[in-house]
Amino acid sequence: MKSLLLVFLAVLIPGSAGAHHGFAQFDTRSVVILKGTVTDFHYVNPHSVVEFDAKDDKGQVESWKGELTSPSHLGPRGWTATTLQPGDEITIGGWRAKNGAPSLWVTKIALANGQELRIDGGN
Amino acid sequence: MRALVSCIVFAGVVLGQPSVREEGIPVTDPLVIAKCGTCHTPDEHGNLQRISWERTTPEGWQDALKRMIVVNGVSLSAPEARSIVKYLSTYHGLAPEEAKPVLYDAERLIHEETNVPSENVRRTCTKCHTFARALSWRRSIEDWQQFGDLHAARFHFPPNAEAVAFLSKAAPLHTPEWDAWIASTRNPNLAGRWLLTASIPGRGKFYGEMQVQPAGSTKDDAEFNTSVLLTSVNDGSGILRAGRGVVYGAYAWRGRSKGGQSAGPSPDDLNNEAREVLWIAPDQSSAEGRWFWGQYQEFGFDVKMRRASSGPTLLLVDRSSLKIGSQANRVRLIGDGFPVQVSPADLDFGPGVTVRRIVSNTPREVVAEVDVAPDARLGKHDVALFRSEAPGAIAIYDRVDYIKVVPDSALAAFGDQTRVRGYQQFETIGYQRGADGKPHTADDVELGPLGPLGPNDDVAWSLEVFYSAPGSSADFVGKVSSTGFFTPAVDGAKANFDVWVIATAKTEKGANGKPLVGKSYLVVTVPSYTLNGHRYVRDLDRWVDDGAVQ
Repeated sequence: MKSLLLVFLAVLIPGSAGAHHGFAQFDTRSVVILKGTVTDFHYVNPHSVVEFDAKDDKGQVESWKGELTSPSHLGPRGWTATTLQPGDEITIGGWRAKNGAPSLWVTKIALANGQELRIDGGN
Repeated sequence: MRALVSCIVFAGVVLGQPSVREEGIPVTDPLVIAKCGTCHTPDEHGNLQRISWERTTPEGWQDALKRMIVVNGVSLSAPEARSIVKYLSTYHGLAPEEAKPVLYDAERLIHEETNVPSENVRRTCTKCHTFARALSWRRSIEDWQQFGDLHAARFHFPPNAEAVAFLSKAAPLHTPEWDAWIASTRNPNLAGRWLLTASIPGRGKFYGEMQVQPAGSTKDDAEFNTSVLLTSVNDGSGILRAGRGVVYGAYAWRGRSKGGQSAGPSPDDLNNEAREVLWIAPDQSSAEGRWFWGQYQEFGFDVKMRRASSGPTLLLVDRSSLKIGSQANRVRLIGDGFPVQVSPADLDFGPGVTVRRIVSNTPREVVAEVDVAPDARLGKHDVALFRSEAPGAIAIYDRVDYIKVVPDSALAAFGDQTRVRGYQQFETIGYQRGADGKPHTADDVELGPLGPLGPNDDVAWSLEVFYSAPGSSADFVGKVSSTGFFTPAVDGAKANFDVWVIATAKTEKGANGKPLVGKSYLVVTVPSYTLNGHRYVRDLDRWVDDGAVQ
């Protein structure tokens, strides 16, 4: 490819100029907090996504997906494509998908050393 | 006049610049003076109001002319419009060095713009169009101010002094590049034989040649006919294309071409008519650009050209990577003017790679058998044949550390009655950690598309809709083919969907023994939507107001 085709999707939103999708599919009434191990991190538009494994109540490993904001929002807050690496231990909090899928909208995220990564809202 | 003076003083105060009017670029073309000079009042130096304090690309002048026709009722025949755009693009254009950084806009490539100076400027400029569109213009300080005010009034947003100040500094009317270019510009002389390399997402590398012949009635017309023969490196299939192009400002090629056969029903058929955008090097020895088509210009050839010479020219190598310790690898070196006699000593793949023998050779291809030492230097190696070199053509690797699906985020669109579907081609690229020993860092080495037979022949593709139950079907959103080509589902969907496009390697495995997996974040959108009585349609990666719904 002549150039890496990176998509600026953050503005591609029917009905709104600043968000790709709303929070309707997430249960915003309660925050789920999980400890897990990063399996992949996608620093992409329209939403960055952290994939991680976390154990459920029975100790079974479940693969989760946490959605974050776009690189244009996270970048000024110190994020890069390598902020999270496979194998990193994280504590992650957010609103779970209403349909029960192992997905959440991330509202807080911290590394194993306790360092909290800035998110500052947004969508 | 009083208003003009006030504006100049205002601009000077706001921008902290002296309120001395910059020298304009006189307009000398009789047609431009006749058609534009009635409103754009001339001064005693031959300057036309506004126009003499602006420079831009052919697309910029074409847009401006369209606006004058639609909004201000300017009456022009098609030949007159073409002539005006050609004159302004040449004498009020950009220098090649100014045009290249914004070429992606004319090429209709989706491109992450990291040069927007602030969130404030981003909100003002890039909500509706690329930042490149703003940076495709050069204006005087006064004209940027005037433009900023008029643009804000026209599109109903508050004037943005920060954006005006930034653009005044970043895109001034007078630059050393432009002064040098306009002083030395000459008619393009592109006639002759050119050698091409091209890549097409999902189809890999192509090579070939283009014959260029003058087509205009005079040299000043700068028009050319073209005929192209391209051959696929992967399967040897050929494609003939013929076209015509115009060169603006001696370097900006804009043309159209189509295949020698009628395009079939497949949207990515290489016989489709394509628009051509090329940037010709100032010395006219090489060119690069994109030929594209599709509802969203999502299909295209990425093209590089160079003039054919009398000596041997190495264009490309069929393989992108070779593994350490591997032996008797067959490598094709493709080019032009190769001598009759070729020996292993005439080839050089860098330290640790030995040419065992020449298997075959023709004037356009050398097939060599090479061994890679177990301790060969990892990373990109230049490949040379005689004195012709292909920089970084082969990556030497010990293992594939991870794979990426490119593009790593993408768009496709459902269709409707007026807009055909928007498709997306994906590829899988292998990577090896770089010198720092860590994967996913800046020094990682790209190993090229996965699979020896084609870009996507060593991966299995699948889709996963966000928030869906594991294993559930994604057919209601679309399908991805075995070659990584995504086709949206039947037309008429009313919602957007976020989807993972997943490539799972068939043979390459990670450190955990599991197949390597790469993912791309695909958004499949509706083709248009209505909000507050206006219809919005997609343009590349943005939604644009298509006017009030009747």
